[in-house]
Amino acid sequence: MGYVWTILAVTAAYLALTGNLAVNNILVGVLIASVIALLLRPTRSPVELRRVPRSLLALLQYGALLAYDIIRSGLNVARIVLDPKLPIRPGILAVPSECETDLGIALSSHALSVTPGEIVVGVDQEGTLYIHCLDASHAADTIGEAQALRRRLLSRILE
Amino acid sequence: MDDIRTALAILAILIGTGFSLIGVIGFIRLPDVYTRLHATGKVSVFGVVLLLVAAALITPVGAGRAAVLILLLIIGGPTASHALTAAAWRAGIKPRGTIRDDLERDHPREP
Repeated sequence: MGYVWTILAVTAAYLALTGNLAVNNILVGVLIASVIALLLRPTRSPVELRRVPRSLLALLQYGALLAYDIIRSGLNVARIVLDPKLPIRPGILAVPSECETDLGIALSSHALSVTPGEIVVGVDQEGTLYIHCLDASHAADTIGEAQALRRRLLSRILE
Repeated sequence: MDDIRTALAILAILIGTGFSLIGVIGFIRLPDVYTRLHATGKVSVFGVVLLLVAAALITPVGAGRAAVLILLLIIGGPTASHALTAAAWRAGIKPRGTIRDDLERDHPREP
């Protein structure tokens, strides 16, 4: 099963890149995807087949939330950078990720790092994320809240 | 239809170039490695994504290709900035002017 998802995803990416839906091209895509899948270790799919529709819905919500966060904090960082007084109060905050799986922690740190104003510097053994913030004065609460919301969505995608 | 498409593309180019410019200004003005990566790593990715949207609208790049490239940028950009901050921290570079540092408190570096 692990192979099937990899092959489907790689074929979809290949078809999107070539932009050619002819049967020949699809066959070439599946061939290339199969070779790539054989080079990777087979992994257990994190999503069961019957839960795919619910996962997809949660994934769309997650994407929309991410896009909103990127735009909002992008404008915020732009404002800070262009301010003549450069009002930054940098700091490194510890935020518990509260995710059990490695994939959950990885996706949480990606979501944190993709929004401007926050970068994950490191993760420790207990899954605590250490986040460098441009404005650390009141960021701890907002980051904690955003992380709780993301964790709920992620658990709906992955479990 | 073509007019709307061109207008949207021009808007995306203007905003995208603006954000790329802000990324460079931030890189010059901010004080240390960690804060500079906020400006270049993220704000610039935002700019490049908008330029790709414009390219998808008015050049024969195609929406599918642009979508795959945007996805790769959104995965790769934050990963690169995280790798750089983690490397800077391990190399012993101290963040400048911090108001708190939980990482130093919980995991002090070897002297």
